[in-house]
Amino acid sequence: MTTKEFVTKSDFLVYECTLGAAGMTDKGFFFPVDTAIGKAGKIYVVSRSHEANGPGIRITAMSYHHDYYGAFASVGEGDGQFTWPTSITLDSEGQVYVSDEYNQNISIFDSEGNFLRKWGHEGSSKGQFDGPAGMSFDRKEILYVSDHRNHRVQKYSKNGDYLASFGSYGDGNGQLNLPWGITVNERRGVYVADWRNNRIQRFTLEGEFVATYGKYGDGDGELNRPSSVAVDGDGYMFIADWGNERVQVLDPEGEFVLSLRGEATLSPWGEEFLGSNPDERRARSEADLDSVVNLRSQTPHQISSHIEKYFWSPISIKLDEDEKIYVTERNRHRLQVYRKNSTLG
Amino acid sequence: MVMAKDDIGQIAHLMRRAGFGATRAELEKLAEVGFENLIDELLDDTRSDQIEDDLVSRYHSDHTAGMGMGGMTANWLFRMVNSQHPLEEKVALFWHGVFATGYAKSAQGRVLMDQHKMFREHGLGNFRTLLIELSRDPSMILWLDNHDNRKGSINENYGRELLELFSMGVGNYSEDDIKACAQAFTGWTIGNAEYMAIRANNDSLWPYGRLNLNFEYNPDDHDSREITFLGETGNFGGEDIIDIICRQEATGRFLARQIYSFFVADEPPISQWAYTPPRDSDAIEMLMEAYFSSGYDIRFVLKTLFKSDFFRSSKSRYAKVKSPAELVAGVLKLTGEFKVPHPKLQAAAATMGIMGQVLGNPPTVEGWHEGIEWVETGSLVERINFSSDRFSDIAKPGVREMIDSLENKLGDATSPQEIVQGCLDQMGAIEVSEETRTILVEHAAEFENEERDGKFAEILRMVSATPEFQRG
Repeated sequence: MTTKEFVTKSDFLVYECTLGAAGMTDKGFFFPVDTAIGKAGKIYVVSRSHEANGPGIRITAMSYHHDYYGAFASVGEGDGQFTWPTSITLDSEGQVYVSDEYNQNISIFDSEGNFLRKWGHEGSSKGQFDGPAGMSFDRKEILYVSDHRNHRVQKYSKNGDYLASFGSYGDGNGQLNLPWGITVNERRGVYVADWRNNRIQRFTLEGEFVATYGKYGDGDGELNRPSSVAVDGDGYMFIADWGNERVQVLDPEGEFVLSLRGEATLSPWGEEFLGSNPDERRARSEADLDSVVNLRSQTPHQISSHIEKYFWSPISIKLDEDEKIYVTERNRHRLQVYRKNSTLG
Repeated sequence: MVMAKDDIGQIAHLMRRAGFGATRAELEKLAEVGFENLIDELLDDTRSDQIEDDLVSRYHSDHTAGMGMGGMTANWLFRMVNSQHPLEEKVALFWHGVFATGYAKSAQGRVLMDQHKMFREHGLGNFRTLLIELSRDPSMILWLDNHDNRKGSINENYGRELLELFSMGVGNYSEDDIKACAQAFTGWTIGNAEYMAIRANNDSLWPYGRLNLNFEYNPDDHDSREITFLGETGNFGGEDIIDIICRQEATGRFLARQIYSFFVADEPPISQWAYTPPRDSDAIEMLMEAYFSSGYDIRFVLKTLFKSDFFRSSKSRYAKVKSPAELVAGVLKLTGEFKVPHPKLQAAAATMGIMGQVLGNPPTVEGWHEGIEWVETGSLVERINFSSDRFSDIAKPGVREMIDSLENKLGDATSPQEIVQGCLDQMGAIEVSEETRTILVEHAAEFENEERDGKFAEILRMVSATPEFQRG
């Protein structure tokens, strides 16, 4: 079986469900920017909110089955607080790491959301940050951080000790321009969403350049400001093609496999709201939410602002232990989950 | 080449009216372009704003989703401060004041952001096209209830305001014309009208945030019976009505006065126009002529205005009170603190509201009463506090730059007169009355023994409180 046989979505990925709904308190996300999934299936979603709505800045904990476990963190620059939280990841003990690209630090919580410590300072010297964005651990518990305005990746111990860095500003092989999402795949290396260069770059765990995937555009395999990348055990890349409002899958060699535009359905949390608003529920049932006419602009962004099921600002992609694919959508305040139904290769 | 002082003053006047002011360094560069050439450059339809929308969206969550008003106003302020096509932004602000559309009916920022984008795209183009786009604009349709303007059940709101406030002005049409106008726009509605209206009424952001609105024409709901409108009879639709409106002398006159009031000198509120003559009738006639001779081309009308003697006249300088948007954007352009996205941007944008102008939320469909009404006692205090606080902070990059430039240019010169003139130059070639200058010099003398950074910041702060700085 070759990868070329998997040219349609139904061959490879199947939509599973939608998690979450818009909300600054209780059950909900408000401009979520990243998701981390623990070994026991506990899901943490970090909401960035916006500058006028501090209460919306928080981390919501839930299960795949829509159980709500509560929320923690708040707005500010103190312990357990964030201004521009950007990414979230977990270590082997289940501790929660959250980067903040304005506060210039990484905060650590226990799995129940109790603040433990934080580290990081602004600067461009080794071990300093200018906008810590994406994060990912390798199996040795080394944390890789895309230090985006320094156009590099830095490696730290889980206690915040600086170990090494790689990358510099530019568009050549191994160079970066405002990198964002990052994922470490033990066998294949480090994958970086090289955001302003419109590509994914792959490095060894030691930071040596391996390969580059994608170029600017909106065609198959082309990218527009990719913000996140996840890699499965076979080396397939799942890319948040943020500027094109879609998810793309590339095979281990970087060949285009498929593209997803999104197919969200009503989540139980969303159902709860409509259940208490019968007029809105009735009018919604009679509305056509799957098509739109007379748009002044036909950009994917504009279309996504109208069609609810489509991805709107797909900003992060994470895989769980079963390699289900979780797409975090900032502008739609939800996650769309897909699963693989075939093994490729 | 050293420019004469008057040239810089004239360039500064143009940049205040066709934009949101300019730094001293920018003015000196623009002076080399020359006044006439600069007008052509400002009106160039190929000019790019050079706003890095991708970067803005990466940092500011709500600048694309438009959940509420905050992201919308902050995004617009960022554009006013940083756009390299300042006239495009200024014209968008102008049309927002004329076609005042509020947040209350749509309960989302996104659809208003789209309207403001439309003003950028069509605001310097043909007035007929602009009125058609306005009539199809989803936020306007909701704002003036045209989704309830149906065959057999006319709602006159949009038809009335299209004539009274958006094109001709009161006294130039009859009640029957209003009814005919409204009938012609039956069937001009939005997609999923009922659901969207309920969502807006509930301020619903569930389940997944705001849903943007789109225009829809429903032919089954359009009343196509023959009507008589402004003396012409036919089976008119909305576009036919706009054709008739655009060729009316009253439209040219109304539009000319609106443009004069925004770009040249404050006129009284529209409600007084029927019995208060314009302050410069000849200027209005010239702009009307430009409107008709160009086939309703706004770009040509503005070109005529900026190149006119009445615009260049010293009487036009400082003949307008800056709106809160103009003041805040102008100050932040000088302080240089929001050249890149920053979490405090939204709070800065909120100050416009404290001064009386919440962009995207005008007090009525008539928009804001501009001119001297911007400076009632409370708002004047807010304006001065905002400006002086900003210029007091020597850590702000623009303030630091002005102080460094003053150090270089003044050298050993330390007299209060020289320091005041230096600060006026740095703040955008501000020209002040003798009375204002005397007060500034006296104040500077009180700080004679202060260290220079603090002294310069104090005078910059004082300049921002002068009537001339608060005007434009």
